[in-house]
Amino acid sequence: MSSVSSSESERSESLQSDTQPGATSSSFDIYATYERFLQNEDISTPLAAILALTELVEKSNAGTMFELVKALNDGAKSLKEGTPNPISLNCGCELFVAFVSLFPHDSDTFSELKTELVKQGRSYAAEALGYRDRIADLSLGFIKDDSILTHSYSRVVMKTLLRAHKQKRISVYVTEARPRGLGFVLNVSSLAAAGIPCTVVLDSAVAYVMDNVDFVLVGSEAVVESGGLINAVGSHQMAIIAKAANKPFYALAESYKFHRLFPLSQYDLPTHNPSILSFPRTGTLSTLSAQPLSSSISQLHEVPTVPSESHSALLVPLSMTPEQIARNPDVDYTRPDLISLVISDVGHLTPEGVSQYLVGMFAG
Amino acid sequence: MSSPANPYPSSQVLAPNGEASGSKPQPTISKAEQSRQRRAVQEQQRAAKAAAKTAPNVPGPSRPRSGSKLPPAPSTPKKSGAGPSKTQKDSKDAGSLAGDEFTGKSRGLRIFSHFGLPKPVSHVGKGDIHPAIVRLGLQFSEFKISGANARCIATLIAFKTVIQDYITPPNNTLSRHLMTHLSPQITHLVSARPMSVTMGNAIRQLKLEISGSDIDLPEQDAKDVLCHKIDHYIRDRIIIADQVIQEIAGSKIKDGDVILTYARSSVVEKVLLRAFSDEKSFSVIVVDSRPMLEGKKLLSVLSSAGISCSYLLLPAIGSVITEVSTVFVGAHSLHSNGAVFSRAGTALVAMMAKQHSVPVVVCCETYKYSEGVQLDSFTKNELAPSSDLLSSYPLTRPRETLNLKGQPNLEILNPLYDLTPPTSITAVVTEVGVIPPSSISSIPFALGRQTL
Repeated sequence: MSSVSSSESERSESLQSDTQPGATSSSFDIYATYERFLQNEDISTPLAAILALTELVEKSNAGTMFELVKALNDGAKSLKEGTPNPISLNCGCELFVAFVSLFPHDSDTFSELKTELVKQGRSYAAEALGYRDRIADLSLGFIKDDSILTHSYSRVVMKTLLRAHKQKRISVYVTEARPRGLGFVLNVSSLAAAGIPCTVVLDSAVAYVMDNVDFVLVGSEAVVESGGLINAVGSHQMAIIAKAANKPFYALAESYKFHRLFPLSQYDLPTHNPSILSFPRTGTLSTLSAQPLSSSISQLHEVPTVPSESHSALLVPLSMTPEQIARNPDVDYTRPDLISLVISDVGHLTPEGVSQYLVGMFAG
Repeated sequence: MSSPANPYPSSQVLAPNGEASGSKPQPTISKAEQSRQRRAVQEQQRAAKAAAKTAPNVPGPSRPRSGSKLPPAPSTPKKSGAGPSKTQKDSKDAGSLAGDEFTGKSRGLRIFSHFGLPKPVSHVGKGDIHPAIVRLGLQFSEFKISGANARCIATLIAFKTVIQDYITPPNNTLSRHLMTHLSPQITHLVSARPMSVTMGNAIRQLKLEISGSDIDLPEQDAKDVLCHKIDHYIRDRIIIADQVIQEIAGSKIKDGDVILTYARSSVVEKVLLRAFSDEKSFSVIVVDSRPMLEGKKLLSVLSSAGISCSYLLLPAIGSVITEVSTVFVGAHSLHSNGAVFSRAGTALVAMMAKQHSVPVVVCCETYKYSEGVQLDSFTKNELAPSSDLLSSYPLTRPRETLNLKGQPNLEILNPLYDLTPPTSITAVVTEVGVIPPSSISSIPFALGRQTL
């Protein structure tokens, strides 16, 4: 907080000497820019953040490196405030700020350096769009005529599956990935359209299906310094079950998702807040729990008596209230010892390899 | 007391010899009988001489051992299987036994004889020892200064004094000669207490600086440069590193946490105090163990700062570990395979936490990194000072009757350190970031491959 106010005061000081830069940087809405980039289907959160920050560099009239890095940090902060889950956003911001501060200063003037930075940022983003194809190619060697279990929706997993389908006969089990149901909605339609055999699996049926699959393939929100993985909630339990069944658990991650973060446990994640998994106050408890409880009781009555109608009973939307969903975590952290391999555009990395790569990348 | 006890050790020592010679009854009489007899006679003479030597000083376990050499010696010529190699081994054994005459008086257990033992240091060292080093040696050997950081800082500060008081002899250069002046000082410190990894790393860096110092510089300037370098080392690698660690490790402490720590680490103490001054509400469980009971110091510091603390001894850890959110421990050194060498008992705490899936965080500066791989806490260790063994017991009998020192069948073993395997460590917090134990070996890489 104090850093923000100091930078504000600094900016107002520079404003007095030169009124032009302050006006432009304040009119530039970084969050709207970020949202605009996210409209593009192919651009993921970290890339959108990088592009938004690149635009910030272009628009900003900072006269020194110090000012520029300060402006970038402020921009990253305002981006973070806008989103409920800042993890993958952070990856992009961190990468770009590290890149800017380590960029060699051999330009004649600072504005030239800025144009160079903008050029580099854009070209990186353009190059990064090809990372998914590279990962799809790299992971091809791990896929035989297999049945694969995947969780939630990930663009890189989708690309890999479609790529593999061209050469191998694969079949895919997709979890529904509650509460957002991304796996169900997005995967099934595009997989079916490509002609890949595909079955939707309940999140609670992962252990049931595990014996039947050859390996687990998931995408990632971020790959962290311990070599662990942050991904849609449910990945951790999937990894535990895969470990118990001795099935490989592969994570696909573009290298811009490598994140300098070391969660010690689920409760050490930046997304965790005290309201997650908290108990509702006693007053609201009775009203909230009454509804689902009665419906589940009615199902219990129905299931043993009329087995044929149990399916129709299940079709009744067993929905949680928005408050109940809000009290549940969005992402979870998978420990490195559960992950067989992280397949990334920089190569196949073991979890230890990921941490060594990260330590080397950010410490230099 | 000593005479009835003697037969037992003697029979024990004898047993392996007899067994070894008996198990190899190869009947080949290829070797010259003469040489064997000559060797046997030599053996006999040597044994007799040893017996004669040890005869006057009656107490001590050496007498039965030398006596035990007598029976097998005549038997060697009869048993034709025992070739020259056997007799050679015997004579070697005799040599090592003779060495034991000296060590055996202080310690009976030969398998621990390689552990560094705190020994009283003479005030007058051999050669030209600087008074600051003599004082430091005494402080080390009496554990007045203990802890990897404190010892390293004290050593470097003492070396600053030594360097300032050093005068290059004529026809020599500082960069060539200063090290030969420092080596006996280092030897003196090591004789007081085995060198810690931190001191080793710091001294290696100092040697590098000395050998690299400019020949053309005036002597006083060169000395000032070296002292500056030492100051910077202390500042960069210890003081600032600690501050960074405080910040990073502090971010892992959240409101409502229960932090468990073992014994006393200066870094962990600072981390906890910093987190408390950042207005985080947490409580601390200080686990401690005999004989040093260093946790008491930590407890008094933390509780006087206002942190709510519990204090318990190591055997009671099982009953509290389920309540703990995070375990923070310090380290003596860090090995490239991810193992952490720390105060004896740390491994137990870490394994216990691992068993209950409580994260174990080691706070450690990177200058404690050691390239060597250590696999157990037996090959290299130290013995804790045993002087105050009974000081913490509620005594019901007068202290004099409880003297444990002079008993011949009692050996007191207090290893000072143990090795925590990498599997029971979650993360190591260093000034270059939080590192999983599997990536400890990339620390030099993270430091830009600068020498440690």
